[in-house]
Amino acid sequence: MGASRKSGNLPELVEADTLRERECGDKPRSVREAFLLEKTFTRARGKIVCIIVALACCHAVRAAGSAVQAASDKRAVKIVTDETGRRVAIPLSVQHIVTLAPNLTETIYALGLEDKLAGDTSYCDTPAAAKLKPHVGSPQTPSLEAIVALHPDLVLATTSINRPETVDALARLGIAVYTSDPHTVRGMLDSIARMADLVGAGEQGAALVAQLQARLDAVHARIAELPLVHVLFVVWEDPLITIGQNTFIADALRWAGAESAIVAEQNWPQLSIEEVVRVQPEYIVLTPNHAESDAASKSSELESLRARPAWKALKAVELGHIVVASDEFDRPSPGLIGAIEQLARELHPEAFALNASGGNFVGGAGLQMKMAASAWMKKECVSCAL
Amino acid sequence: MRPLTPRRILWTCAGLCGLLFVVVVISLRMGAYPISVRDIVDTLYKAAVGRREEVPVEFWQVVFGLRLPRIALGILVGASLSTAGAGFQALLRNPLADPYVLGVSSGAALGAIISLIAAPHVVGAIQIAAFIGAASTIAGVYFLGRRGGQLDSPTLLLAGIVAASFLSAIIMFLLTMVTGSELRSIAFWLMGDLTAPPPTTNVLGWLGFLFFVFIVAAGAMYTTSSDLNLILTGEQEARHLGVNVNRVKFVVYIAASVLTGLAVSVSGAIGYVGLLIPHVMRMFFGTDYRMLIPTAAIGGAIAIVLADTLARTVVAPTELPVGAMTALAGAPVFIYLMRRRMR
Repeated sequence: MGASRKSGNLPELVEADTLRERECGDKPRSVREAFLLEKTFTRARGKIVCIIVALACCHAVRAAGSAVQAASDKRAVKIVTDETGRRVAIPLSVQHIVTLAPNLTETIYALGLEDKLAGDTSYCDTPAAAKLKPHVGSPQTPSLEAIVALHPDLVLATTSINRPETVDALARLGIAVYTSDPHTVRGMLDSIARMADLVGAGEQGAALVAQLQARLDAVHARIAELPLVHVLFVVWEDPLITIGQNTFIADALRWAGAESAIVAEQNWPQLSIEEVVRVQPEYIVLTPNHAESDAASKSSELESLRARPAWKALKAVELGHIVVASDEFDRPSPGLIGAIEQLARELHPEAFALNASGGNFVGGAGLQMKMAASAWMKKECVSCAL
Repeated sequence: MRPLTPRRILWTCAGLCGLLFVVVVISLRMGAYPISVRDIVDTLYKAAVGRREEVPVEFWQVVFGLRLPRIALGILVGASLSTAGAGFQALLRNPLADPYVLGVSSGAALGAIISLIAAPHVVGAIQIAAFIGAASTIAGVYFLGRRGGQLDSPTLLLAGIVAASFLSAIIMFLLTMVTGSELRSIAFWLMGDLTAPPPTTNVLGWLGFLFFVFIVAAGAMYTTSSDLNLILTGEQEARHLGVNVNRVKFVVYIAASVLTGLAVSVSGAIGYVGLLIPHVMRMFFGTDYRMLIPTAAIGGAIAIVLADTLARTVVAPTELPVGAMTALAGAPVFIYLMRRRMR
């Protein structure tokens, strides 16, 4: 074993040849070829075993596929086209739902269907009860096995966070997957109504959507006459990433009476700070640091921005025009409406100062607003369940 | 060193196949869905005798729908990468060579990204585009890497490395154009991932086709193994001993590149296996390519199946991409083995 004790490889490789010559070099060529053949067969044998195993697997996979088909044929299904254009056979009576994204989990709770929710992802934290449901992993890398183990009649996915590969793989196992793909706030409301229909909660869905739409209209009525506020929506601070014109968030901003100061075709454009200085947004909208309350995070964010040389020159930072939006803002879920209300209040306080006692607007700062919104959500759930 | 006999190669490979079998059984048993060995054996038995209707649907889904296809793909990818790595190390006469050193993976990644931008959500497009990218890179580097009409190792290495970094630069540029779900898909692809479903519903045909390509390419490389041993001592010496060096290099180059392209197209760029497994096998079984090629193939399969099992279970129910696991576990294991052999 002297050769292989050496650490480097090249010395070993050099030795190989002498070994070869020692073993085979002096044998007639026919012997060498027989040797090669024999080894080829040895190798082939391993491969043959592999092939047999593979064949067996595939045969069985096909069999499994047909078994799944047979099982689902026994139950009544309806064929629907989901929002990505896939055709899905969904059981008429859906009893077990698995959601693959936080906004979908929230929607299910808002519809009062938490009893049918068999599992969700480890990102699902709203409402708090969702954390106690069995998790199937993260939205991007869920365990397909864990999903199978929950016997879902329907899996809900979304293009905004799930991978198409996950949807494909589940569909091949014969599991019904409905993928939602909202690009606007209205699209989200339509999507909620459609999903409610699928799980046999069409009435609750219509009621929820009507209620959310009414709230949106109420906000719109107050701010429709006002000019849009130019804001910089900060998705990520370092590197600075903002939103493009075609994102969901851009649409939600418009509902809140704001407009992204940056015009970009890309969905998540990376910006130079110079560009921000050039456009001088009126407000800077940040997404919150989860560890802090909104009020605390607003002042600390302002402080940290004022400490940065490029940022402190911005008029918005100088004037303290910073809004910490609710983290619901980047989730296409019912909670988004509350986040829009909150942002609208912060950006257009004058529109909400009058008649503050009327309607849904309880008054106060963002934190209170958020609490009010979530209390309201709970009320909705109860009323839907009834 | 005992002489290398056919019998010894046979027994070594049989032993490694046994080890692979054990790893496969462990991999079948482990996972987020709890299933006992008895149930697995029962499911397999009933599959074999055609009494599938007696098995719960979920066992079918887990064993045949999820775990076995993934294990089969892992075996294929591991064997391909490791064989390709051994081939490139000989071809370039460089212990640092791995299957990706000549830019095949960058070419495949570029193909995959272009397909994601041009035709997102088309089933199978990413695999086909990745293979086209890999094949174009193989051809391009081949023509750049020739000198005086034949493959010259240093020229080839330089051409490959430059091609790889150029392609990576294009990828970086394109990545800024991609958003949302495409970006997520490509990130997983770049890390190496066995979860992507095959491009056709005929899993049997798909795996059969992949294994057929593997056997042809690996077999072609194996026919050159005696000559490779000679070339490793020096091309001049090998020529004097009657080896057709140009032909051997051409065969090894094409075979190793096809194997890499094959693996990368179906699973993305899984790192480390192609570099480390040939070295590990050299430590254990010596440097003769007649022994090294088959042992590296089986060893690579073992490594990937093991890594994928870990990737599925360590942070269950979330799954890690297998490429992250091979890189995470590969380096320490290799350092340990290397230091132990030196003692």
